[in-house]
Amino acid sequence: MIFREVEDRDLIKRARRGQVEAYNLLVSRWEKRIYNYILRLVGDREDALDATQDTFLKAYQSLGKLEDEERFAPWLFRIAHNEAYSLLRKRRPEGEMPAEIAEGPERPRLYPVELRLAVKGALGRLSDEQREAVVLKIYQGFKFEEMAQVLGCPVSTVKSRLYTALELLKAELAPIDARGVE
Amino acid sequence: MKCTSFDLNAYYFGELPADERRGAEEHVAACAACRAELERLRVTQTALASIPDEEIPQRVAFVSDKVFEPNWCQRLWRPGPQWALVSAGLIAAAILLHGYMYRPAAAPAVEAQVIETRVEAELARRLPVALDQAVSRLEARHRAQVREAVAAVEKRAEIERKAQMAAFEENLDVLRKRFNVMYLASANMGGR
Repeated sequence: MIFREVEDRDLIKRARRGQVEAYNLLVSRWEKRIYNYILRLVGDREDALDATQDTFLKAYQSLGKLEDEERFAPWLFRIAHNEAYSLLRKRRPEGEMPAEIAEGPERPRLYPVELRLAVKGALGRLSDEQREAVVLKIYQGFKFEEMAQVLGCPVSTVKSRLYTALELLKAELAPIDARGVE
Repeated sequence: MKCTSFDLNAYYFGELPADERRGAEEHVAACAACRAELERLRVTQTALASIPDEEIPQRVAFVSDKVFEPNWCQRLWRPGPQWALVSAGLIAAAILLHGYMYRPAAAPAVEAQVIETRVEAELARRLPVALDQAVSRLEARHRAQVREAVAAVEKRAEIERKAQMAAFEENLDVLRKRFNVMYLASANMGGR
């Protein structure tokens, strides 16, 4: 992980000097994470792909504004966050819940179908902000401080959103507990 | 359920400071309610993991694509050989400017004609000599190269010839010995 961070930093420096191949490598390293982050927020693969593309384009254009190369991940996710929310604002009226993530035939089935449906339903009933907090913490593994940077809010707000979401999810997914999840 | 003063969720995610973490560990070891809460968090996280990341259906366009090409300003600031070219251009421009600003007063047309005639005459005198010298140097170098190549081939042929002679003599010696043995054997047979 340390080596990877060092390499990313080096790639960022090279990309800033105009070496496009260095940026290409950064894109290939981060595109899957960014795509999945946006997909879990917007729930549509095509939109997620477009927003991912826009994220990397905007990141490239504003690479010079990145103050600390060590903070590349939160910085990149902040751009992705803006793209996703821009999409959500355009697509649906205020307060409406997002569509659930479309089922794809290629997705691996690691757990029973009913479990996945229950999880998707529970995630879908969270607010956008709560869901995003869960995505950043559970699926992307960010620290609270990094999440605050991505979301542009204090750590206390991040914790509040995440903890509320976790309470709701625990309540929704309680029956699964009885059946036993490994 | 929370029965402690510390942040159980932060403890679960490994984000408590080291000193608080030690106290939390001690508390959790002794508190069944907190252990049950941690277990619910684990089950929830495991359930969430039932929706894994997807493969991206299509690669993001690379920077080499048109849409990512740097603008003229970024291209200009990029370090590289183009700066050497720019420097060379600036120097050339400075020389030209200097030559233009400090050019000598124009000589009379007659003088220019005289100079041109002299230059042509000088060229006509020196050029054939220089050409002859260059051709001679080239021929001499080629002759030397050919001599070296022939000497190398002869040397190699001599070595091979000696090796063949040695082999031939060795074979002859073997045959001579074999003949002697056969001769002695036949002489013995005739004596009986």
